[in-house]
Amino acid sequence: MRTCRELGIATVAVYSDADRGALHARYADEAYAIGPAAPARSYLDGDRLIEVAKRAGCDAVHPGYGFLSENADFAQAVTDAGVTFVGPPASVQRALGEKTSARRLAAAQGVPVAEGTMEPLADEAAVRAVAERIGYPVMLKPAGGGGGKGMRIVRASDELAGAFRGATGEGRTAFGNSLLLVEKLIEHARHVEMQLLADDHGRVVWLGERDCSVQRRHQKLIEETPGPSVDDGLRRRLGDAAVRIARASKYRNAGTAEFLVAPDGSFVFLEMNTRLQVEHPVTELVTGLDLVALQFAVAAGEPLPFEQQDLAPRGAAIELRVTAEDPHAGFLPAGGTISLLREAAGPGVRLDSSLYPGMAVPTEYDPLLAKIAVWGPDREAALRRARRAVRETLIGGVTTTLPFHAYVLAEPDFSAGRYDTDYVSAHWPPAVAAELDAPAAAAAAYALVLGQAATASRFGPVRDSAWVRAGREEALR
Amino acid sequence: MVETSSGGRFTVDDEVVAIAARTLEKDHWSIAVAGRTHEVAIVGREPLRVWVDGVEVRSVIADERALAAAGTGAGAAGSRHELRAPMPGLLKAIHVAEGDMVERGDAIATLEAMKMENELRAPERARVVKLAAAAGTKVEGGALLAVLVAAD
Repeated sequence: MRTCRELGIATVAVYSDADRGALHARYADEAYAIGPAAPARSYLDGDRLIEVAKRAGCDAVHPGYGFLSENADFAQAVTDAGVTFVGPPASVQRALGEKTSARRLAAAQGVPVAEGTMEPLADEAAVRAVAERIGYPVMLKPAGGGGGKGMRIVRASDELAGAFRGATGEGRTAFGNSLLLVEKLIEHARHVEMQLLADDHGRVVWLGERDCSVQRRHQKLIEETPGPSVDDGLRRRLGDAAVRIARASKYRNAGTAEFLVAPDGSFVFLEMNTRLQVEHPVTELVTGLDLVALQFAVAAGEPLPFEQQDLAPRGAAIELRVTAEDPHAGFLPAGGTISLLREAAGPGVRLDSSLYPGMAVPTEYDPLLAKIAVWGPDREAALRRARRAVRETLIGGVTTTLPFHAYVLAEPDFSAGRYDTDYVSAHWPPAVAAELDAPAAAAAAYALVLGQAATASRFGPVRDSAWVRAGREEALR
Repeated sequence: MVETSSGGRFTVDDEVVAIAARTLEKDHWSIAVAGRTHEVAIVGREPLRVWVDGVEVRSVIADERALAAAGTGAGAAGSRHELRAPMPGLLKAIHVAEGDMVERGDAIATLEAMKMENELRAPERARVVKLAAAAGTKVEGGALLAVLVAAD
């Protein structure tokens, strides 16, 4: 919507009952209620959305990056209603949305894919047969899914039944489809993805990679570009593979090809995300492009204003996802009301945030609260800036992933760029807790007394996730 | 060791220090300790989380008498952990019984919330001294589910 305002495009937002006061609903020129908090009866109700678009006289619908953004039927319905869909057409979404179909398409273009099924599987016996053939460990994924939901690692045959139930169940709930895909698990791989743009005139360009290996529950927490392990040769190979898949699927608009890169530098194609991604700001920061503006231009039939050789990314960018989750309790989602808020600012810091003081964090939706994206002339500078930005950020009233980010940004392996998709389980929670020095601990102790969180007190060493002990002296007498 | 007393004396490692605080807003202060300024905020109370100059520390005010009864001073053993529901949801399962010893990371209970099944795990090696909720029941955010006491 910020892009739209810059371009002079009037905006219309929709909101559920839970989002009446949300920033997006306040920012838009017009905003319409679309139903109760439950996504199925509001943000996932395509008919309702199209009705609003028509009533408000919208020329185009931008589906964002959640909910119906990768739903081919919705894209088709928008187009059929005479409204421009800002994203790949339904035919592309169909060809690439189902994971085995995307794998078949990639394999036909000579792009490597992980060993496994090329057709979606419905029953446990079929899944077991494939797993036994390719050998454990394997990964089960909902064939129609995305965003890490429903994915299960199976290390031995006795784990398969439980994983099958979990993956099919979550697939059905989240995507309305319980079919599964089985792939050989690649250990210690990095999750590296390539940003693409394609116009109506046959031009397809890649804009560079993002390393998104720092994940929990197969969902990303930190993304950066350039990838610390990606050299020019690998970057070109990933870009070429992504462009081949895009051309074969007659891709249009923005998209991202996801790959796993093994420790030896070989890679396999995972899937295509047929939408703008949460982590697109890092690519914007190093390329200087506005991907949303380009999405609108492409959707309007304009040619891309540059060619592959015109692109020269500059510097390094890192994005930290601040989510309403407790990093000290296995990243459990946490509710709450924002009691204190100060967001990082200053040179090279971009905040994409949904937060405002007094906001009740909705428990119905994804726990993403804000994205802190930083740019620096090189990775070292970007890291320093990210540490500074995290320190500046103050969020009270809800448990967030900020302490996790503070730890990771100071952790030597991450700082050295040595990490893969096992990073979080290998490094978190930290063995040695953060500690305050004596004056800082004194200030904290004094604040606890002022805030009436403690009475006349004695405080031991103040440690992260350990225990400050304020002995109640009266109670002892 | 930091000590405050009702007389307003404030000591750090047994030395009396000058301290001056300005309240910025509720639960948010600028505090000068011996000339160094610190920004401090209470960012959570259940459990207590304190933010100091951008560093978040998690703290629980333990009852000194309970610590004394557990026969410990400032060590980790004997710490009491209250396992609370981080958000409203359905308590799908309880995986332990009162009296059980659990290792760090063991699942204590499964809470279904935000359309996900969340495993609530033991923060360290501990004994389950109390279960406060039953499987199959709906719980409010912050509801006490179990009490653990850390073991050596």
